[in-house]
Amino acid sequence: MKNLDPNRAKWIKIRMGILCGLMATGLGTVVSGAYNIQVEDGDQWLDLAERQRQRRLHVQPKRGTIYDRNGAPLAESVEVPSVSADAVEMLRGVEEKYVAAALLRNSERIAEALHLSMEEVHEKLSRRRRFVWLKRRVSDQEVTAIRALGDKAQRYPIRGITIEGEGHRFYPNRELAGPVLGFVSPDGEGREGLELSLEHELKGHASELRGLRDRSGRLIFSDGVDDEQALAGHNVYLTIDKAIQFTAERELDAALKTYEAVGGSVIVVDPSNGEILAMASGPGYNPNDYGAADPGNRRNRAIVDRFEPGSTMKVFTMAGALANRAISPTQPIYCEEGNMAIDNIVIHDTHISKWLSPTQILTVSSNIGAAKIALSMGEEKLYETFRRFGFGDATGVPFPGETIGVLRPAKRPWVQVETAAAAFGQGISVSALQLVMAMSAVANNGRLLEPVLVKRTTDATGQPLVESSPRVRRDAVGAHTAKLVSEMLVSVTEGEGTGVEAAIPGFRVAGKTATAQKIDPATGKYTDTHYVASFVGFVPAEKPRIVIAVVLDEPMGGTYAGGSVAGPVFRRVGEMALRYLGVMPKGTEPVKLSELSQIARTGADQATNAYQVMAEQKALTQAVVTPSAPLKGGEVRLPDFQGFPIREAIKSAKALGLLPQLEGTGRVTRQEPPAGAVLPKGATVKLIFEPPA
Amino acid sequence: MTRNESRIRDLFDWPLFICVVLISVLGVINLYSATSVYTGARAELYISQIYWLFLGGIVGGVLIAVDYRHLERAAYFLYTFGVFTLALVFVLARDVRGSARWIEFGAFRFQPSEFTKLFLVIALAKYLHDDPRNEGRSLKELLIPAALTLVPGLLILKQPDLGTASIHFIVFLIIAALTKVRWKSVAVFVGTVAAVAPVVWTYILLPYQRQRVTTFLNPEADLLKGGWHAHHSRVAIGNGGLVGLGYLKGTQNQFNFLPDQYTDFPFPVFAEEWGLAGCIVLISLYLFLCVWGIRVASQARDRFGCVLAVGCSSILFCHAIINMGMTSGVLPVVGVTLPLFSYGGSSVLTMLTCAALIINVSMRRFSSVADRL
Repeated sequence: MKNLDPNRAKWIKIRMGILCGLMATGLGTVVSGAYNIQVEDGDQWLDLAERQRQRRLHVQPKRGTIYDRNGAPLAESVEVPSVSADAVEMLRGVEEKYVAAALLRNSERIAEALHLSMEEVHEKLSRRRRFVWLKRRVSDQEVTAIRALGDKAQRYPIRGITIEGEGHRFYPNRELAGPVLGFVSPDGEGREGLELSLEHELKGHASELRGLRDRSGRLIFSDGVDDEQALAGHNVYLTIDKAIQFTAERELDAALKTYEAVGGSVIVVDPSNGEILAMASGPGYNPNDYGAADPGNRRNRAIVDRFEPGSTMKVFTMAGALANRAISPTQPIYCEEGNMAIDNIVIHDTHISKWLSPTQILTVSSNIGAAKIALSMGEEKLYETFRRFGFGDATGVPFPGETIGVLRPAKRPWVQVETAAAAFGQGISVSALQLVMAMSAVANNGRLLEPVLVKRTTDATGQPLVESSPRVRRDAVGAHTAKLVSEMLVSVTEGEGTGVEAAIPGFRVAGKTATAQKIDPATGKYTDTHYVASFVGFVPAEKPRIVIAVVLDEPMGGTYAGGSVAGPVFRRVGEMALRYLGVMPKGTEPVKLSELSQIARTGADQATNAYQVMAEQKALTQAVVTPSAPLKGGEVRLPDFQGFPIREAIKSAKALGLLPQLEGTGRVTRQEPPAGAVLPKGATVKLIFEPPA
Repeated sequence: MTRNESRIRDLFDWPLFICVVLISVLGVINLYSATSVYTGARAELYISQIYWLFLGGIVGGVLIAVDYRHLERAAYFLYTFGVFTLALVFVLARDVRGSARWIEFGAFRFQPSEFTKLFLVIALAKYLHDDPRNEGRSLKELLIPAALTLVPGLLILKQPDLGTASIHFIVFLIIAALTKVRWKSVAVFVGTVAAVAPVVWTYILLPYQRQRVTTFLNPEADLLKGGWHAHHSRVAIGNGGLVGLGYLKGTQNQFNFLPDQYTDFPFPVFAEEWGLAGCIVLISLYLFLCVWGIRVASQARDRFGCVLAVGCSSILFCHAIINMGMTSGVLPVVGVTLPLFSYGGSSVLTMLTCAALIINVSMRRFSSVADRL
């Protein structure tokens, strides 16, 4: 102000200066407030923000499906609606004095809709949490009832109730491959079997994704992740063949029942690539209802259990001796007429013989013969041979709890008698998987492979990620030796052999029986009543297609010999598998191609017809909702959103009373459900946008 | 006259103008981010904000072109009109979340309390201009200006709108502080306030207003009620850190955890995305605006211009500090907009008018006394 006396002007200036100072201080306080929150206590607030965002991430991404090798689902996740409540939202705006009454009233209505007890609902709501499951896995009827409660059109809608899909693991084949697959906890974590060991592949990427929920609970994807499928777990294709698996389990169960065995396992392997075609562990269980199963039955005996193999080890003793040239293939060995003393232990043979050829030693399963061969080879070479065949080592199968067996229980080289016992499989332990893989090596020209259980992995959209390939562990013995042993093993299932009951008509079967005494845990000595009966073999012997191991624990009731207990299981599973794989029996005339095509032609018409019918049906399903179908009240017919830009799509969806759920950017390229579908108002429509090309 | 006019044009207050433009641009950019969570009409609020800014610019241009002293004559008329519209609120307005602040006028809605603070400043300027004194004023001599303030202030408090009402009172206090007041009077005033405050607390403030003040004192105590806004806005600010998360990347904002992020809480959005660095820039801009306004006041040619400039600066200052203070937890949560950052036509028009009046006073600081009236 110009027209003032200087003194007054000065005063005014000073006051204004003070005012400026005060303003600066005031705004400085804001800056310091921001500094406190952002920098000084920054971590604390940052943490708070992070937790706030993470807190409402209840639902896991969809877990991947486990298929068999032909794409039949073995374990899949289905979205099952679950109902949760946000009690805070429910009571927002309710005055404190009415809260108790509102809670009671709402609890009563919710309990009625969900078939729960009112006390239970009331207790959950009374905690007044932002999130509580009211009921998981509700029926369609209950969904309708609960939707009606939240309907804003009615007089007292209940707010804060959410219905969301929750992944529920479902095993469509029930017991089939149960112990192999394992199961998943209600929170979506693999707990046993492949579900556990493949957890990383199957689970999806909740930890990596920045997809979070906002305040209203919608999933938000930032950083370009806008596709729910990108978060979903990978699909896994096993090497298991559902059909062979089914037969293996059926035959195993039958044997378990017939011989009253406590347990057993059957493994079917393709020796050319190590793929496990079937792996049965019995008694099994239904992973859909794992809670009711005996935990003992949930374990996969084929991989997890170890046992004294008995005579099947003679195969590898023989292979080792031949490879090391400790004996010649035709060299006769004196078998001491059934009794041989080593140190102070006497070894018995069930089949008393004097001179036996190496082949005969396998055929009649002479312990003394095997022991003598082993002793001529020496402890070190025998141990090395076993190791070369993969015993005492992990096979490399991706499965939790695999046993590696025990070769040297005393953790020192065997003494003489132990070497002799090990030659016929006593005093050592192995797993059924090790046994079948070692036998596969014999069938596969002496080459030991890694067992393959996962054939390939794809992402949720079906893009292949990992394709398994055979992995050679080592050449256990030379191809010549392997061939030689194979031929020797054929005699086991022929004529006087112990394994004649495993013979499959029309095929040459190579294999070995074992009837191993079990050690009585009470006395520490071998019993005469408890055995592990087994048969391991492959077929056709000249060009092996499958290797099968059958192990039965404690068969009872007089019959316990491997040949008569496990042999028939081998035969039945082998017969089926060979037929299934299209392996022709020897001596069968190959069907001429022209005849085959003739068959195909007669069938072709049917096939074409079937295809046409299918095509028509498809067209029918698309046209099921005709425009003339009458709409009930509260229902709307879904228009075709194709080509709509985002804003317009939202607008028209909302105009119809539908909830649009958006994915991607650009224009609508797909919609779920399809155009023409009749939906209740308030239903969700999934619109998938893609940028125009 | 032509010479004089061109001289006035040369005197155009560019620094202030540029500062206002900068804040407006930042405000629109921030509003885009704040509403990017939404779909539909609300996502396009930033466009309406641009329209309002242009309209405000035109109004401001007209106000700058006309010598501010012409306002003197209209002062009491405007004031009366303002009080009348405030009274009208009680008759016409609808309740929005328990308080009636808006008048609907065809397709337009406006908030009279946004404008009355301007009219109050003009009226106070007129009164003090007409009543020049060199010696200190006693309380009695401040009675009329106080009454001028209390009438709209109490009407707004009754709406109820604690924030805007308190802005009226603070503006009055700042203007009063610039006129010389006797020390004795100051002491009496402080004593009276101390005596009256408890009465106001118990009888005049509504429960929710009391709760806002108490939650301000301990915001984390009850997150689900009053402290919820304050808490979430502080979480967002804290989430920004030193340099922020980057434009459109504020997670608390994008995930919709922030309440009313386009009206009362644009500052946390800004703070989350630009961090402390951004906050310092923004606050410096506001500080510059206010201090420049005071500087203009000190150079003003007459008392009317001086009080006008101080009043307008105070309005901007109050809005800025109350809004940012409440969001960063320094002050209680009251519904006060952040100048040129919050969405809203009434708010934008008021703020731009304030700026225009300061520029007006600044431009005519040298016009000769002969021009006067």
